[in-house]
Amino acid sequence: MSAVQRNNVHVQGAGTQAMVFAHGFGCDQAMWRHVAPAFESDFQTVLFDAVGAGRSDLSAYDAVKYADLAGYADDLVEIVQELGLTQIVFVGHSVSAMVGVLASLKAPELFSKLILVGPSPRYIDDGDYVGGFGAAQIEELLEFLADNPMGWSQAMAPAIMGNPDRPELGEELTDSFCRTDPVIAEDFARATFTSDNRADLDRVTIPTLILQCSDDIIAPLEVGQYVHAHIAGSQLVVLEATGHCPNLSAPAEVTAAIRAYV
Amino acid sequence: MTTEDLDLYNSAPFGDLLLGPDGRITLVNSTFATWVGFTAEALAGRRLRDLLTVPTRIFYETSVAPVLKLQGGFEEVSFDLLTASGGKLPVLASALEHRGADGRVLFTRVGMMRARERRGYEQALQGRAAEAVGKLTAEQETAQLREQFIAVLGHDLRNPLASIVGAARLLRREGQSEKALKILAMMEASVDRMAGLIDDVMDFARGRLGSGIGLHRNVALLEPVLRQVVEELEANHPSRDIICEFDVSEVVSFDAGRIGQLVSNLLGNALAHGDPKAAVRLGAVARAGAFQVSVVNAGPAIPAQAMERLFQPFFRGEVRASQQGLGLGLHIASEIARAHGGTLTVVSNETETRFTLDVPSAGSA
Repeated sequence: MSAVQRNNVHVQGAGTQAMVFAHGFGCDQAMWRHVAPAFESDFQTVLFDAVGAGRSDLSAYDAVKYADLAGYADDLVEIVQELGLTQIVFVGHSVSAMVGVLASLKAPELFSKLILVGPSPRYIDDGDYVGGFGAAQIEELLEFLADNPMGWSQAMAPAIMGNPDRPELGEELTDSFCRTDPVIAEDFARATFTSDNRADLDRVTIPTLILQCSDDIIAPLEVGQYVHAHIAGSQLVVLEATGHCPNLSAPAEVTAAIRAYV
Repeated sequence: MTTEDLDLYNSAPFGDLLLGPDGRITLVNSTFATWVGFTAEALAGRRLRDLLTVPTRIFYETSVAPVLKLQGGFEEVSFDLLTASGGKLPVLASALEHRGADGRVLFTRVGMMRARERRGYEQALQGRAAEAVGKLTAEQETAQLREQFIAVLGHDLRNPLASIVGAARLLRREGQSEKALKILAMMEASVDRMAGLIDDVMDFARGRLGSGIGLHRNVALLEPVLRQVVEELEANHPSRDIICEFDVSEVVSFDAGRIGQLVSNLLGNALAHGDPKAAVRLGAVARAGAFQVSVVNAGPAIPAQAMERLFQPFFRGEVRASQQGLGLGLHIASEIARAHGGTLTVVSNETETRFTLDVPSAGSA
């Protein structure tokens, strides 16, 4: 099975350069739907689902490979190579920002720019390092995800949006977004929230833009500043958007910030 | 809201929250306030995520907030709320955005039900499922060990049996009394039976351990094999009739020993279980590389419960004193059919019981 099939890759737009978008933990490529289209006239946009998310091939899941973010980084490199791309602009959200960093260390010739939205190299506090969470809290999160595998039920209904006449409720909805397989999500959460990639930041050689949200509990300001301090030559832009998903809550601001950089 | 509306809102049997366009609480009902132990005033202006424990806050920000933005709502999401006393309250939540004509969000309504019982029930279910899986895995491992032991035992029993056969042969050559010869014949018959049982057990173990019934297929005529089986059984059942209806002039690919074993088993069963006053019929057709063999007997129908388990190993139905077997015959017969890429099926009613072996041509298997 090709990487393009495995990761449900979608290529749109036209341009000499490719812009590859990577979604974070907890969602799928749909989270770029208000940002990616804005670049289609100037770039070839590439969207994909991490294995376990969206419509990726769940049978490709390998608990050993994906126990580490390096497994996801390998997939990213494979996708880029399979599409014959090089010198891409990479836009990664949340944990996939770090996946992009790791991929750029593995195959720097494929990357021209790194745009990291809400990145964090380590979520658990460590001495002076503020990750945002205590180890016990992360453990509790993983337990919560284990105890509530259906805590995120498939009963999502886009028909809810102000139009109660739609009969799609209760049917298998092909339009449902942010699909994640609950068992794989548990593993992905563990790989993400117990990761420590601080040492990798110093090795980054690709020009990098960090988009930091205000009031983001997952990747707080101190973390964005840490990433900025450790990636030589990087730029840090603090967005007015709050929360962890500015690509959804403030897509215009994100689009503008990306455009200003590329 | 009117006073009546407000009363209705506050007295709802679930928590009801209204969030403004910025996601901050504008109104909560009394039910919710009571549950979490904060006053409605204290809660106003806070964000939904502030009400959650830190771990579920992470879950909310990464997995739920995006869906709310993408779909304008979410349903049946588990959260843990923080209570004023520092505890946590498990809830199940649904939310719905309400947009104005210009498409902008006016407010979001969030409904929450307490889920302590449900959460406890779900955890208990998961615990039981995990336990069951654990037990199943242990059982499977034990079964594998058992089957390996059977294979080894069967293999090891063959040597002493061979010794007895050899010894009996030697004794015969020594010139024996008539009584002694009869006893030797009984011994040889018993050894034969033991060897048959061991062969069945080995076939069974091999099938279960995955290597399956091995076949040595040759392209040949079916008739000689069938005739030989019929002769053997007629010799053992001189008073019984076996009627043969063969249309097997074409050659087919099959393992003679195994097909012989299968037919012998089916005929033996038919003779043992069928109406002793009626004939047993053996039919065979060979056409274009495929072949079919059928064994039919008259007599009472096979009971329904037995039908379900007929081809399972160790199934013996009603065991008669005269029968000595492990109940592996039909199971092995069905495995032989399967190894040939074919099927062994049975139809049984008050008129007749019919076993049919269907083997497709070797190219299509």
